[in-house]
Amino acid sequence: MGGREATMVLLDENGIRCDGRKIDETRKIMIKAGVLKNADGSAYIEFGDNKILVGIFGPRDVHPKHMSDTDTGILRVRYHMEPFSVTERKNPAPSRREIEISKVIKEALEPAVMLEKFPRTAVDVFIEVLQADGGTRCAALSAASVALADAGIPMRDMVAACASGKVADTIVLDVNNEEDQAGQADMPIGYMPNLKKITLLQLDGILTSDEFKKCVDVGINGCKIVYELQKKALTDKYFGNGSN
Amino acid sequence: MENKRKYVIPGDLVTTGPFRPEQNVILEGKNIISTSIGISEIYDDSVRVIPLTGKYIPKIDDLVIGKVISHSSLSWELDINSCYVGFLPAQDVFGRDFSAHADELSSKLKTGDLVAARIANFDRTRDPLITISDRDLGKIDSGALIKISPSKVPRLIGKRGSMIQMIEQGTDAAITIGQNGWVVVSCESPEGLLKAKKAIQMVNEKAHVANLTDQVKDMLESKGES
Amino acid sequence: MASKSVIDELKKTQILELLDKGERVDGRALDEPRELSIEINAVPKANGSAKVRLGDTEVLCGVKIQPDRPFPDMGDKGIFICTAELLPLSHPTVETGPPQPHVIELARVTDRGIRESHMVDVSQLVIEKDKSVVGVFADIVVIDYDGNLFDACSYAATAALLTSTSPKWTMVDDKPTIVEGAESPLPTTTIPVSVTMGKIGNHIIVDPNGDEWASMDARITITTNSDGNICALQKGGNDGFTQEEIIQCGETSVRVGAKIREILKAAQQRGQ
Repeated sequence: MGGREATMVLLDENGIRCDGRKIDETRKIMIKAGVLKNADGSAYIEFGDNKILVGIFGPRDVHPKHMSDTDTGILRVRYHMEPFSVTERKNPAPSRREIEISKVIKEALEPAVMLEKFPRTAVDVFIEVLQADGGTRCAALSAASVALADAGIPMRDMVAACASGKVADTIVLDVNNEEDQAGQADMPIGYMPNLKKITLLQLDGILTSDEFKKCVDVGINGCKIVYELQKKALTDKYFGNGSN
Repeated sequence: MENKRKYVIPGDLVTTGPFRPEQNVILEGKNIISTSIGISEIYDDSVRVIPLTGKYIPKIDDLVIGKVISHSSLSWELDINSCYVGFLPAQDVFGRDFSAHADELSSKLKTGDLVAARIANFDRTRDPLITISDRDLGKIDSGALIKISPSKVPRLIGKRGSMIQMIEQGTDAAITIGQNGWVVVSCESPEGLLKAKKAIQMVNEKAHVANLTDQVKDMLESKGES
Repeated sequence: MASKSVIDELKKTQILELLDKGERVDGRALDEPRELSIEINAVPKANGSAKVRLGDTEVLCGVKIQPDRPFPDMGDKGIFICTAELLPLSHPTVETGPPQPHVIELARVTDRGIRESHMVDVSQLVIEKDKSVVGVFADIVVIDYDGNLFDACSYAATAALLTSTSPKWTMVDDKPTIVEGAESPLPTTTIPVSVTMGKIGNHIIVDPNGDEWASMDARITITTNSDGNICALQKGGNDGFTQEEIIQCGETSVRVGAKIREILKAAQQRGQ
């Protein structure tokens, strides 16, 4: 996993982090909607050095039939990392981590998607991580939400995600890979910005109750920043140059 | 008229107040929220959003273009660009004295065939029921299939058919538009066919552009390639 | 390749009618491949990478180079492994789960095309004989499907390998350790180029697109190296080729392959 300098400074005396960011600054984010020819909906996101592609098929027939639900459509999510996406080549077979993240992302999207009108069908969300650099699940969830909208899947809200964390005793926004390894806490958050509900929340690390409150707050602000970029991605594709 | 049309994405507030939520909007408390990417429209007592993407949702009596993807001894299954597969029973084609022993389905329609069809029945507990037994329906023997987004079909038809007539007259093509976004174009001349295809793709890509009709008209009237 | 997608009969008829006139639906000549675009370094953190677009088929290859244990009885050779996966987002008929035979064939044909050309000289990839060697892993993923994955995967892997850089390792305390600042381009000996031809009726076409692929009766993939010699070959599909047709395909693969090799060379230049 390469040599990391033992002397890397996570947060210097001017409040600047190891990659030059301030404590409330996200990495550079870019989202594009509708990037695949065959998928019903798709999106591509770059979140710092993360590069993630999402393709959606559905609503469509479920095979095998016994997996379908007679009352509502079902959501299926597959989060998958390419072997070349991480520092040490990853075996192509699904790992336990990927399976857990698939489930967590599915449960973060379910409150938003409305599949009751499509009984006996499935909406398949395929997430492919092409390059990983900390915070893939948040980037993936954000892109998946855009891809679902691109596919025309009815949703009561978008889901935007960003991680906050604690690094050098300070609450920061959008933890990168180094900060995740050497920091004190990492909290990915998925948030529906209009309904104001948190649909993904995990925590690695130790926080006091006050720090926890601050972390959630900071994370939600990050989600709002991501939401603006989700809107931009969809507006750019569908509303052309004119808006209202 | 005040500005009653707005571009919206899922979760966007369309309006508040005593309106009846219709297609692609829901009521959250007092707020009417869009569930799709589209254009919101507020009427006197109702609100809806016209979606700009999404699969075809079958509606009874809709004309659709379907593709046979398989069959059993009793029915054909059709891809109709929807969440559900269309179901065409053998009796619809062979008549009521259809016999599974005597009548071979592939003699009338085989896998890969295209048909102009109508949605005979649809509710979400069953796959849509298809019929091809009217005079203007049935197997499509010639032409090219073009796929556009179902949400662009109204634009392709135009007000009282104005857009599609303009394209047909400008190219001498015969065009059958399925509500499911599948369109069949027949034309004697290859140039006419190419122009008709181009015109249809233009509508699919630029439906939101204000002077689309003029752009299509210019393209149809121009000579030469590209 | 999506084995279950159904092509509509009208399109199939149209393809055949045009071929009888020596034409193709997209206006290409029978021996003309689609436009090929190669984006190198698409995944900067990998040792090498290339994203290839062949018409609307899109494929990404990432190369990872890292120390590994040698295979038993091959202690004086490094490891070269090439895999290919059809991502479920590339086409509605792609299923998740264990790879189906046509995907396994795609992976193995792509691997053979590169391996048999000796593009990567595994005898140069030894850190310490019998103990530690360099492993070069070229993993290909198909992102969007529109026919002819054989060639798209071959070009992606070749371009990624041509533009890969490898660290240098030395044994320290019996462990392979990176020598700082000694990165260098992965040494390659040749540029293999695969050319896939499909047979529809009596016509042979180069680089079938998605619709042509679904209409094909048989296909053949021929890989040539920089010397213009044939180093790998695979026939597929459920019809046969005549002897003359096979020879014609061989000649076409050398000719068309040479033109594509120039595009790969240009990609290699961009990487330097």
